[in-house]
Amino acid sequence: MPKNNAPLIQTVKLCKSYFNDELETPVLFDMDLTINEGEFVSIMGPSGSGKSTLMHILGFLDGPTSGKFLFKGEQTMQMNDDELARIRATRVSFVFQAFNLLPRTTVLDNVMLPLLYHPSIPASERRDRSLNAIESVGLTDRADFFTNQLSGGQQQRVAIARSLVTDPDIIFADEPTGNLDSTSGNQVMEVLQKMHTDDNRTIILVTHEHETAMHAERIIHLTDGRIDSDTTNFKRARASKAKSLNK
Amino acid sequence: MLLSDTIQTAYKAIIVHRMRSLLTMLGIIIGVGSVILMVSVGRTFENYILDQVETFSNNLIEVYPTGFEKFGRTTDSLTFEDAEAIANLTTVENVAPVIFIREKVQYGTEELSPLIFGSTSVFLGNYGLKLDKGRLIDESDEKSARSVAVIGSEAANTLFGNRDPIGERIRIGSRFYTVVGVLQSLGSALLQDMDTVVTVPFSTARAITGKHQLDYMSMTSKGDDDLALADIQSTLRQRHGIDNPEEDPDKDDFIARSSAQATEIIGQVTLGLTIFLGLIAGISLLVGGIGIMNIMLVAVTERTREIGLRKALGARRKDILLQFLIEAVTLTLIGGVIGIIGGVGFGLLITAVADKLLGSVSFSLSLSALLLSFAMAMTIGLVFGLYPAKKAANLRPIEAIRWDR
Repeated sequence: MPKNNAPLIQTVKLCKSYFNDELETPVLFDMDLTINEGEFVSIMGPSGSGKSTLMHILGFLDGPTSGKFLFKGEQTMQMNDDELARIRATRVSFVFQAFNLLPRTTVLDNVMLPLLYHPSIPASERRDRSLNAIESVGLTDRADFFTNQLSGGQQQRVAIARSLVTDPDIIFADEPTGNLDSTSGNQVMEVLQKMHTDDNRTIILVTHEHETAMHAERIIHLTDGRIDSDTTNFKRARASKAKSLNK
Repeated sequence: MLLSDTIQTAYKAIIVHRMRSLLTMLGIIIGVGSVILMVSVGRTFENYILDQVETFSNNLIEVYPTGFEKFGRTTDSLTFEDAEAIANLTTVENVAPVIFIREKVQYGTEELSPLIFGSTSVFLGNYGLKLDKGRLIDESDEKSARSVAVIGSEAANTLFGNRDPIGERIRIGSRFYTVVGVLQSLGSALLQDMDTVVTVPFSTARAITGKHQLDYMSMTSKGDDDLALADIQSTLRQRHGIDNPEEDPDKDDFIARSSAQATEIIGQVTLGLTIFLGLIAGISLLVGGIGIMNIMLVAVTERTREIGLRKALGARRKDILLQFLIEAVTLTLIGGVIGIIGGVGFGLLITAVADKLLGSVSFSLSLSALLLSFAMAMTIGLVFGLYPAKKAANLRPIEAIRWDR
């Protein structure tokens, strides 16, 4: 049973291995991690450290090999495909490094896509919700453009709008600035930052760039599949706290 | 996910990937269309040729000297006496000995090279040829070897135009003949235009060619073709001194054949043609099918990533499968229907052209080819549309998104 005071995400001795012809390649070892609602967390580490794998497991795109993964206090290991699909549709959303938008499809249709799979948002609300999400990333004038007519930065903002449209509990961002120049990257990070500070959204960001990671209030370092350090980014945390006090 | 959303999603996907959709449909169109076209055209011509044979009365029997078919052997084995002997048999009637006159027919400046039959009064009836105007060749023409002729409707048309041919004199070789009758139009039979025939009395033909031997004879059986053929064969073998109890056709110096047998032989030939065309069509169906497989397999990588994305956004396995099912069914249905329309359309076109050239060709659609090719195309489309989708839908979203094979 989900508990009301349970953390959003809790893992206990979470392990992940990949198997290739009986050959086991361990990626994550005994990961104990708790993330609460409203946090903005960066997961950092060199490539091969397991940061993306961890994020995919936490975002229900991949399954762990062993250990426990509780989402809002609910065990997720035994969930079937439909239950997992429901969580993906309603609770979590993703911003990918490669944008992963549908080509030759309009911005509006791309942003609306998750709503097609959402079990409870009525069809009549789809358009307004999508336009609101597009507005919040500043692309209202591009709503009827095909995504392949947009710049990389704009495409990533479409992806962010898509991740907002279902009003999920967590937004995962996997190297969201990795394919962008620094100006577009900064714009994208500003949008993400705003989502956190203004709407108090929980954001988990995977990156290997220090500067990008510094947008978060909490920074977790992974090395070789283990948590190396888990620290508070005081500069951001204070700013965020000050802002919430001002309100 | 609502069904209406799934349908819309599927149609959007078809339109977004319009090139791939078109190529998939093209494979189905070509496969289905060619099978229907080939098999239907084959059957159309089979029917046409069988019609040609069946135009003759059903119990027509023809007897040829062997050399008629085999070069280098005697062609003079049949005599008028043979015909008289056969006429005495109880199993046959309407025995008509035939001598061809190989000459041109002229009237004024018009000229024609028809088949000129010298035969008796029963000859025309054996082939279902009926009189339109004037009279037939009768016994007294035969007895006196008169120079009279009965001509086919087309021959009359060519030689006389709108004028009445009865009583006019035509020239055959160096002699003049009076036209006494014109036949009704019959169309073509055995690929021979029966409306251009010219017939003269047998005795006249014999007199001017000086031949004692027959080119062939025609008759009808009194009901049982096999009995009649057996009688004819034993009579002729006896008269020609041929000892052939084992019925080896090589030993005989004649061939006796009923129109039913001819129909059967021709039917076998045209069936062979249909099978051959069907085989070619089958190959094009296969090629079309391989085309579909190719396109779908090439699309797998891209589509697997799309499926991964949709799953990441919350699509259930059945949402994915239903979408791909609708896509595949739509493409194969549209392709199949266009293929059917195209195949039948081209078939009708070819038939229309053939009808102009040959006459009395009517299109015969092969329903079994239609259904079979459609079912095949449908199966290929569905299997190769759904199988990769099913595999992808069973992957974890991240595996599908990162698919790169």
